[in-house]
Amino acid sequence: MSSAPKYSIIDPATGKIDRRIYSEQAVYDEEMEKIFARAWLMIGHESLVPRVDDYFHTYMGEDPVILTRDRQSRLHALLNMCRHRGNRVVRCDDGNAGRFMCTYHGWAYSNDGALVHVPGESAAYYDGLDRSQLGLVEARLDTYAGMVFATWAGDAPSLEAYLGDARWYLDTFFNRRDSGMQALGPMKWMEPVNWKTTVDNCSDNYHVPTTHLSSASVQTRYLGRPRLSHRDQFESSNKHVFVNGHALTFREVSDDTFRYTHGVSTETLKLFQEYHEATLPEVERRLGAFRAHRVQLGNHSIFPNGVLGLRLALPRGPLRTEFWHFVLVERDAPEEIKRVIRIGSQANNGAAGMFEQDDIDNWRQVTSASQSRVGRRTPQDLSMGVGHSGTHPDYPGLVSERYISESNQRRFYLRWQEFMNAGSWADISLDPITAKFEGTATMRA
Amino acid sequence: MTSRQALWLELMEFYIREAWLLDERRLREWVDLFTEDVLYFMPRRKNVPRREAHREVTPLGDLALLEEDKRYLEMRVARLDSGMAWAEDPPSRTRHLIGNLLVEPHEGGEVLAKTAFIVYRSHHETDQQIFAGSREDLLRRADGGWKIARRTILLDANVLLDKNLSIFL
Repeated sequence: MSSAPKYSIIDPATGKIDRRIYSEQAVYDEEMEKIFARAWLMIGHESLVPRVDDYFHTYMGEDPVILTRDRQSRLHALLNMCRHRGNRVVRCDDGNAGRFMCTYHGWAYSNDGALVHVPGESAAYYDGLDRSQLGLVEARLDTYAGMVFATWAGDAPSLEAYLGDARWYLDTFFNRRDSGMQALGPMKWMEPVNWKTTVDNCSDNYHVPTTHLSSASVQTRYLGRPRLSHRDQFESSNKHVFVNGHALTFREVSDDTFRYTHGVSTETLKLFQEYHEATLPEVERRLGAFRAHRVQLGNHSIFPNGVLGLRLALPRGPLRTEFWHFVLVERDAPEEIKRVIRIGSQANNGAAGMFEQDDIDNWRQVTSASQSRVGRRTPQDLSMGVGHSGTHPDYPGLVSERYISESNQRRFYLRWQEFMNAGSWADISLDPITAKFEGTATMRA
Repeated sequence: MTSRQALWLELMEFYIREAWLLDERRLREWVDLFTEDVLYFMPRRKNVPRREAHREVTPLGDLALLEEDKRYLEMRVARLDSGMAWAEDPPSRTRHLIGNLLVEPHEGGEVLAKTAFIVYRSHHETDQQIFAGSREDLLRRADGGWKIARRTILLDANVLLDKNLSIFL
């Protein structure tokens, strides 16, 4: 017996979207269960816990989670909740500790989650307490290129299957060097927006020449960076691609130009080009010639709440999102390159970022439009490029014809709907892996 | 009046004038208060155990909320003048209250000045936020007045509760 699915919030043929998904508490509560307690969630990076006993405090949705590295150097994602009453066992952002003690009654856990000490255990519990059943709740954990993911769902597919062909593109940023990447941060701030607005915006290149024109113009003037225009965006051969909920954009590169990352200026252009050329043989060995020379990951989101690199949109109610901004640098890059990227990253994105600060009120008002009575009756229009995406001979996934398109945004909301209507992972589709992963790079190295 | 008291008064007035420049949005004049080699730095504040207080403020070289030189400061001010810096157009209404000034002589005639601030920000219709923190400045005599050669802003917040940091603190 089948009944109509509960959520039907987007018409893929017209791109009309029901706004209520941004503001209704009941929808939000269901998201926490159907999406955040089910999907693989990005929670951090191995470089945040480099040594044995290091820990880093993070979140899976609203659930506080401790990312630990135990005595055997294994990583764990542990719910930060004492099994006795629920107090947090860690109150710091990061540190080095083999054990975590609850400050309420003194129950203590080792950093693999085991309950190892209960004060007065024998007398208090008449020797009847089964500590083996009272470890910290542990999530499944896996890593991709140093980034740590976790899921509460026992029936979730492997992280490799979850990322699928998206990894073919992600590799071109996250998996270039043998020595991997290093995460700095995060800075944290509270945005008065629904979390989904920050995610779908990752594929919205249409907004860039309007929302961000002031920042782009001064950076052309002061740093010598390329001009930005609507025309360039429309004529660009760059594309969108969608796989399993992950919405990526990528640049087709023809002349081996380096990735024009945040912060690069006239003075540092040469340094970046030299670094690009010096590392190209290694990248080619790792990713194969085609990806090394032709493909550069652009803005992207990793379903559900990974936003543009290792950055997290942490839901805090339908109308609030705690945003975490990390910057990733290649571990073996020259210090000057790391410095330029670090400074460019905070100057462009982050709480004070010139680009990012101009996004917030846009997303906020998209969110609050769903609260007013007449506004919420009127659907959003995400119709741009309907019918203009499909398969591509060179590129895996669902590929848009143009860089300016709302194809990925429509797909994101369809994926959201699929998760919200699914009873379990058995009801959630995965695109088959069809990409040819040339080179030596793997999930792990 | 001792020379020490005279210096304190001179610098207190310097900071009051700076606050008015910010609140009256005279940012071209404000950015002139910084030396050409300025480091304008706002590190992150972390929750760490009391006995590990040395880790509470992130060092230079880690990701900061702001790590800017003069060119970046000028770029930010030019952006606000563009008419298209939407986070500040229409602009925030701010009120900078600067106090608790401590002055310490430094080598080469430079001076270290520490102040505390409360900054109120009101934006659009009902958005409002209060920022609290401290500034530690290295001041240098120039053009008959003082210029800021290094500013470290310590915010008293872990998760910043505002939507963005589009104003100068």
